[in-house]
Amino acid sequence: MNSDGDIAISVKNLKLGYDDLVLLQNINFDVRRAEVFIILGGSGSGKSTLLKHMIGLYQPIEGEVWIAGRNLVTAEGDERLAILRNFGVMYQSGALFGSLTVLENVQLPLEEFTELPQPARELIALSKLKLVGLAEAAEKMPADLSGGMQKRAAIARAMALDPGILFMDEPSAGLDPITSAELDALIKNLSRTFGITFVIVTHELASIFAIADRVIMLDARAKTIIAEGKPADLRDHAPDEWVRRFFNREPEPAGAHGS
Amino acid sequence: MLQDHCSADVQVRPDGYATIVLRGRLDAESTPACWSKLEKELRSARVSAGQVDAAGIDFCDGSGIALLRYLSLGGMTQGAIVTIHGLKPEFQRLFEGFTADDYKTFRPKPLPRPRLPEEVGCAANSVLRDLREQVGFLGSVTAGMAGTIWNRKRMRWPEVKRVFELAGANALPIISLISLLVGLIIAFESAQPLAQFGAQIYIANMIGLLMVRELGPLMTAIMLAGRSGSAFAAEIGTMKVNEELNALQTMGLDPVRFLVIQRIMAGVLLAPLLTVYSMCLGVLGGVLVMLSLGFPIKLIYNQLISSLDVSDILLGISKGLVFGIIVAFVGCLRGLQTRKGPSAVGESTTRAVVSSILLIIIADAVFSVIIYVLER
Repeated sequence: MNSDGDIAISVKNLKLGYDDLVLLQNINFDVRRAEVFIILGGSGSGKSTLLKHMIGLYQPIEGEVWIAGRNLVTAEGDERLAILRNFGVMYQSGALFGSLTVLENVQLPLEEFTELPQPARELIALSKLKLVGLAEAAEKMPADLSGGMQKRAAIARAMALDPGILFMDEPSAGLDPITSAELDALIKNLSRTFGITFVIVTHELASIFAIADRVIMLDARAKTIIAEGKPADLRDHAPDEWVRRFFNREPEPAGAHGS
Repeated sequence: MLQDHCSADVQVRPDGYATIVLRGRLDAESTPACWSKLEKELRSARVSAGQVDAAGIDFCDGSGIALLRYLSLGGMTQGAIVTIHGLKPEFQRLFEGFTADDYKTFRPKPLPRPRLPEEVGCAANSVLRDLREQVGFLGSVTAGMAGTIWNRKRMRWPEVKRVFELAGANALPIISLISLLVGLIIAFESAQPLAQFGAQIYIANMIGLLMVRELGPLMTAIMLAGRSGSAFAAEIGTMKVNEELNALQTMGLDPVRFLVIQRIMAGVLLAPLLTVYSMCLGVLGGVLVMLSLGFPIKLIYNQLISSLDVSDILLGISKGLVFGIIVAFVGCLRGLQTRKGPSAVGESTTRAVVSSILLIIIADAVFSVIIYVLER
């Protein structure tokens, strides 16, 4: 049993969708501190939509998202900004600003949200870039980086303000297996060394088994969480046959759906 | 008890040895104040060496580590080395994660200052390269046009129709408004000076000649450049960024034949029609002003007819045709020249509009010289 002090994020009774269309409902889960937490599901199950609700980009139909002891759903103004400073986000494409160098991209949150002088900002940005193995590319433009390098630069930018939580949308998508494995090792290292909590949306089974402490699985037909636990347990012992097939990469029998 | 701020005490001995004692919390909130205090005190003293007693630091994130690293590099002590002592093991690991050597290796190097001859050479080279590309593109378009124009399937007339509608029919409201207003404005502005000579009737001659020979084609072309030339560049540029042009090439389709010819054909057909429309609306604006000044419509009509010749109308239409080709040609060329990066499409669009307007004005000047020589 974990005390409230161990909880980094708490999602309560979340119901989300667009207009009259409900995508997900009865979403309840807690993410513990320094945990690598994976949101999983088939295509169109609402994984990325759930992530966007958790980071406050979308407003849910009902429910609460508690981060650092505050409800992001109802927070406004300075309170909302205070919550946003507790986490960094890495988007699927990296979302680096193309007109700035990699170093300037990482320095940007420090410039906007702190009073730190220029040498401090430069030192912090370079140290974050070194952490993700990109210090040598500090002066390059994002367009000159490969996909994997862009994602690592995006992680460095998300970490600039030393947030306790990092949200990632499909970090391994489009990467070769070696780069993907390097990214997994980086995530694991950041979680273990700095106690950062990771909430990651991904499809990549290899990544999930390598880094996940806990997984929730969403289903488009049930419109809710259909499984929760450690990936190996779900693969071998999930009560839902579809969940086991998902982890074992088994095709669905024609005309059937396990959930 | 943990402190939520940082305190910094500085003592400098007469021999220049500084002792800095840091206590409390060093994070993004508290570090800036601590940084300024230390910088102020250490810069005013003549420090030859020093040490930081960091045993009292309760919390230290990236900002605090940056402060300690900057102190150790001698950033506040004119290069004098400062050593760090007593840092808790968890913070010591962070501190050693980014060393002084790392900073010296990875910090951005100042860019060499550009030299004037180098800049001039680069600019000249860029202009020449652009000129060469324009000539090459003109050749490709001509060859593509020759091989496509009589072939109904290769020409893709539905695409020409789509572009014609987007760039032509949808542009009618803005061309109507601007042409009518320009006609009105010129007639109003000239009414007062001409009245002093009892020559207000000649507003009709002036509006007729101006709108038909000069302003009709010019305004239409500039509006086409801003509205359609930029759209061509953006559309083709986005296709290039999305690798759709590569897909065309690997399918054995020439992008010039597949995308450019249709737009130039639409420009060729469209610009003269829009030019005639703009001329009519501009003249209508002038006529409305003359009617409001009390001139009978028959008199205005006679005056217009007497001042205008068929050759004037043909000249206006010819200008429209040439300007239309320029707008479509430059829009497509700039689209195909789009480079990598998120701002590339925006750059191509800007270049399309600027180059089109420049070439339109140059072509207009050439027209004026030719007409002057022919009519002399």
